Amino acid sequence: MLNYDIVVVGAGPAGSAAALKAASAGKKVLVIERGPEPGSKNVSGAMIRKDFVSSVFGDSVPFERKVDTLKLSLYDKESPVNIDFHPNQLVTTGRLKLDKWMSSVAENAGAMVISKTTGLNLTWDGDKAKTLITDRGEVSAKSFILAEGVNALLSMKSGIRGDLNTENSVQTVKEVYSVKKEDINSIFGFPDESTGMSWRFVMTDPLVAGFLYTYKDSVSVGIGSPINQLVERKIRPEKLLDDFLDKTGLSAKLKGYSLREYSAKVIPEGGFPNMNVSKGNVYICGDALGLVDPLTFDGISPAIASGTLAGTAALEGFTPDIYKYEMMKNTEISKIAKERKLESEFMSGNKAGEYINMISTLLKNWASGDLSGIRGTMIENYKNIIPDMLSFVINMR
Amino acid sequence: MRLEEKLYTLRYKKDEESHLSINDVDKCIECEKENGNPMPCISICPANVYSWEDNKIVIGYENCVECGACRIACPYENIHWEYPKFGKGIALRYG
Repeated sequence: MLNYDIVVVGAGPAGSAAALKAASAGKKVLVIERGPEPGSKNVSGAMIRKDFVSSVFGDSVPFERKVDTLKLSLYDKESPVNIDFHPNQLVTTGRLKLDKWMSSVAENAGAMVISKTTGLNLTWDGDKAKTLITDRGEVSAKSFILAEGVNALLSMKSGIRGDLNTENSVQTVKEVYSVKKEDINSIFGFPDESTGMSWRFVMTDPLVAGFLYTYKDSVSVGIGSPINQLVERKIRPEKLLDDFLDKTGLSAKLKGYSLREYSAKVIPEGGFPNMNVSKGNVYICGDALGLVDPLTFDGISPAIASGTLAGTAALEGFTPDIYKYEMMKNTEISKIAKERKLESEFMSGNKAGEYINMISTLLKNWASGDLSGIRGTMIENYKNIIPDMLSFVINMR
Repeated sequence: MRLEEKLYTLRYKKDEESHLSINDVDKCIECEKENGNPMPCISICPANVYSWEDNKIVIGYENCVECGACRIACPYENIHWEYPKFGKGIALRYG
């Protein structure tokens, strides 16, 4: 049987960060990846904070376009309210290129990466995992890192965590269209091919979070919606995406361009800190811990942060308590813990609808110079919404 | 565009055995009575993997995009969901 110091399951951002950390310390590290190559099973927008990714994996982060404009469109019952931001350091990227690159950085540090290999089960001796059984044989290690993504089968089979439920998960579907560089520039008004945008949409009843990202010569669009809502209303996710594209006018913009890829992904809206993060010598990180920022949709930064910590935990032999404590100290991870309350309010009931209606009413009052309207809206929402928002802002510090 | 045409855009390597299965087929009959057709697994799946034919669930696992939503949506925790083995299943280019 092959023997390693540390075996990492999954060559996504969390797994590669963990492998990089452990291999850089001189440990014998094996990464197994179920896809034909790193990134080939992974779905996201994808927008990343380039400076943060560089701080762990080094320069030469592969990216598509700089996100010059982050546009937010809030749809209440009538027309959308649009807000534009001009962020720094955000870029769009393709997951296949990004994940392959991260994995190669871990490989260059000395980690061994084997793809087309699926982890099936851990074998245990009491509280200590001994080996990992894969479809290609069994490997033993001193510790194991589970960076296995949102469908955290090994973590669940090992009894470390339970499955997601319909209340704390979002179904997303995404389409990528091939669009010539010049056409992207003219459709969205970009001065050149390095400028891009990220566009977020929020609609209520049913609650839908939509997105658009511009890559170099393609555009991705998609929607996410809570699974319980889709199931209760028997809404098919692909139909919701079609309706979204029509309602926002994006289908007209993309008309005539060919669809290059259709994909789907479940986004966890629950998990850390309300779950176990490790057991004995097994450490969970990334999506398997539910680490996606519910406000920014960023899962890649917390994946990298938690992966690095999992690598440290395996090196130092952290107990579950210490591993959890270290995660709470990390700003990338702890902010998700702080957002959980707002997140669950958004996922249940019609809080999202109330927020959006309040914001769009306020802005419309303001735009039409209706000062008494602003006052009225504030008074109307004084009791229920504003205290929630204030407590959220206070907790966010 | 029809869903079947969307699914054609995916690179895919067929696994010989299904990575999806039903634990107890009687539960599906119960579920159909309770929820009507389409049941949760059918309506949440973005790839038309599930269909209800002759009082049983038929699984077209070749269509699966490996999102996992069916397993989460099943009210009876009745879907046995594994990953395809040996690197099979979908291979995304954009992701």
